[in-house]
Amino acid sequence: MTGPPTAPTRRPASSARTDFAVGVGAMSAVTVAYLPFGLLVGAAVASSADPVAAWAATWVIYGGAAHLAVLEVLAQGSGWAAAAAVGLLVNVRLAAYSTAMAPRWRDASARAKLLAAVMLTDAPWALANARPVATRGYYLGAASTLFVAWPVIVTLGAASGGLVSALAALALVPVLTLGAVVVPQLRQRPVAWGVAAAAISAAATARLDAGASLLLCAAAGLGAALYAERRS
Amino acid sequence: MNVVLAVAVVGTGSLLLRALPLLLSRRLPDRLSLLASWVGASMLAGFTVRALARFHDPAVPASAALAAVAATLSFGLAYAGRPVVVSVGAGIAAYLVLASAAALLV
Repeated sequence: MTGPPTAPTRRPASSARTDFAVGVGAMSAVTVAYLPFGLLVGAAVASSADPVAAWAATWVIYGGAAHLAVLEVLAQGSGWAAAAAVGLLVNVRLAAYSTAMAPRWRDASARAKLLAAVMLTDAPWALANARPVATRGYYLGAASTLFVAWPVIVTLGAASGGLVSALAALALVPVLTLGAVVVPQLRQRPVAWGVAAAAISAAATARLDAGASLLLCAAAGLGAALYAERRS
Repeated sequence: MNVVLAVAVVGTGSLLLRALPLLLSRRLPDRLSLLASWVGASMLAGFTVRALARFHDPAVPASAALAAVAATLSFGLAYAGRPVVVSVGAGIAAYLVLASAAALLV
């Protein structure tokens, strides 16, 4: 949120359609940047012990980082429980995104909320969160674009094998994209402090597994943001 | 079977993590949503920095450091209000230039 969250006012259908289209346009550019990452996930799917189940996770887990983490842990022979624990830890952030969205979805139907939840992941949340006035239509446009494109990209990656993993620089594209979406939020002092603390924490814990490292980032970021809020 | 179980558990858990706060949104205080937005931004930042720190290009010496320099340029452009495509493109171009220079020097 770019400020204290507020409940939305009812908008005319034409505005909602326009917002949806704007969301689709914003996510289309980001989806292109997600191509290399999706292809990498697809390559991991192809090399899994059970490629069909690993491919189904594209929808079932619907999150590239958790999907990749689960497959990596399984590939190391650590068993399903360890893989599930790591995957869930990586995806804990989804609860934070969903909670942050709550004020704007309070008066939506349960069906609409469920639809929004099923398609919730980093990029749609970050795009909607970075907008001063992010409507539900905008979010749904952005989220549905990625929800349709992501499985296609992963499937292409599974079919093409390790083609993309040979081009290491492409792995930077999704990282830079996520960062570029978050950076404009740094104009808010608590967010800037939180992000700085989380960045330091991430660099210090880069050798830990992803779940534990991200939880430490969350704790450090929240502490720093609260401190900045009290100072201002 | 391991893959099926892991995917089922993570998928179910992830759906609950996504859906419960939204379905209970009438009961969640605005303050909690604000704090959650800070946590979300922090975790995304952590995700980004972690990926940069672990970045490895076998053909390029000190590739993680070069990626960090390129990312700094890219994020600076994003902060200045440039579109995502422009800032990401500039970051990748900067990395490729730096990587070529490093490969020539070593």
